[in-house]
Amino acid sequence: MHIPDGVLPVSVWMLGFFIMLLAIGISLFRLRNMDLRKKIPLLGAVSAAMLVAMSLEILPIAYHINLSVVAGILLGPALGFLAAFITNLILALMGHGGITVIGLNTLLLGSEAVIGHTLFYLFKQRLPVFWRAALATIITLFMTTLALIGIVALSHIDPDLVRHVDEHKAVAAVQESISTFAIIVLSIGLIGWLIESAVTGAVVSFISQVKPDLLGHVLHREQSNRFSRSDR
Amino acid sequence: MIDVARIDHWAASGTGALHRSSTVGKLVFLILVVTSAVISRSPFPLMAGYGVLIALAVIAGLPWFKIALLSCYSALFALLYGVSLRGGTWFVTLFVLKAVTPSLAMLMLIVSTPYPRIFALMSAVLPEILAAGLFMTYRTLFILLDMMDNFAAAIRLRGGFSPGSLYKNGTNISRGIAMLLVRAVERSSKLYEVMVVRGYNGSMAEQSGVTLHKGDWLPVGSGALVLALVVLWK
Repeated sequence: MHIPDGVLPVSVWMLGFFIMLLAIGISLFRLRNMDLRKKIPLLGAVSAAMLVAMSLEILPIAYHINLSVVAGILLGPALGFLAAFITNLILALMGHGGITVIGLNTLLLGSEAVIGHTLFYLFKQRLPVFWRAALATIITLFMTTLALIGIVALSHIDPDLVRHVDEHKAVAAVQESISTFAIIVLSIGLIGWLIESAVTGAVVSFISQVKPDLLGHVLHREQSNRFSRSDR
Repeated sequence: MIDVARIDHWAASGTGALHRSSTVGKLVFLILVVTSAVISRSPFPLMAGYGVLIALAVIAGLPWFKIALLSCYSALFALLYGVSLRGGTWFVTLFVLKAVTPSLAMLMLIVSTPYPRIFALMSAVLPEILAAGLFMTYRTLFILLDMMDNFAAAIRLRGGFSPGSLYKNGTNISRGIAMLLVRAVERSSKLYEVMVVRGYNGSMAEQSGVTLHKGDWLPVGSGALVLALVVLWK
């Protein structure tokens, strides 16, 4: 779900922008020695695939697949974060998600790529590729949905929104409204996470069989370890 | 589904007043509308502002009804957010209008400006990898959409869709997405190599100036009118 313009308080989306710029700076620093000819087409293809997936809405829950964990697994955390930024920028240009909240939307989508990549790597000795990707996806989406609820909780403490009631009533109203939002988002999200994790598992599993060199960040390492073991 | 190809067609083929305005002029218009949505505390001026934008779209010969429908997508989050605040209809209407008004302004910018002009402006401020990535994404998006049409036809012809079999359909669609991704990477790599051979170095050839001209009075004036409505309508 993409946050639109004008909904969240200025302080929240400004903070989002600042953290996003910091994360992009770190990503660019980590990518400073990369081969542009190989990585830019991959970045473009994966970002475009994310956009196509996002444009396919699953009715009636209005959920769409993100492929952000696939992006994290294929591109790695740094390039995956940049893919999230590019995807959000183009989505904002199409009127999906706001311009002012590109920071927050990128942080949410980018963290899916980063966490997804990390979990996929952590599970590598324990599970087959399909289940690694599926499990990484479901945990990642749960965590980022909690982050979205956290952002909304932070924004509900906007004094302008609750100034019409006294302090105690305002605190109670804020807590109640956050739990309503959390229930709605988590219940809709659960169905979406299951679909997304199945798709991610199947996509990553297929790529690992057909073109394993695309999974350069994780499977390459496994292959090179296997080769070095067999060499010995 | 976002009809990127149609948006691109509208942007490239239109000849209306907004198409003739400069990218900077339309960017100023967008900033003014977004500012209006951010500072607005009442739904009524935003409702009037949305009306101003629709009128501008009609005057400029844009497909106003289609872009108004597209702008409604952003209402979903705002609706949930507004309902969760339990402020009643007034709050929900305010949040929905805060979301759809800038979204409509953004769509008006994108359907009246060919993408090389927008990317040229962005590549002036973005690092090379992001500017190149943005351009490659946009180009690959068309390749992917084209491939998806072919894939959907192929999967139907080969009996890939079985009504009632969720597992089989899910597996085939997921494998299709994976195959598209693999082929998109290959095509994208070839496209990038061709661009590099032809002298692409990370910046767009189209360079637009950063000054306003006479034709920009319409977008800038409309943006200023929306902002004035929000500021003055207490």
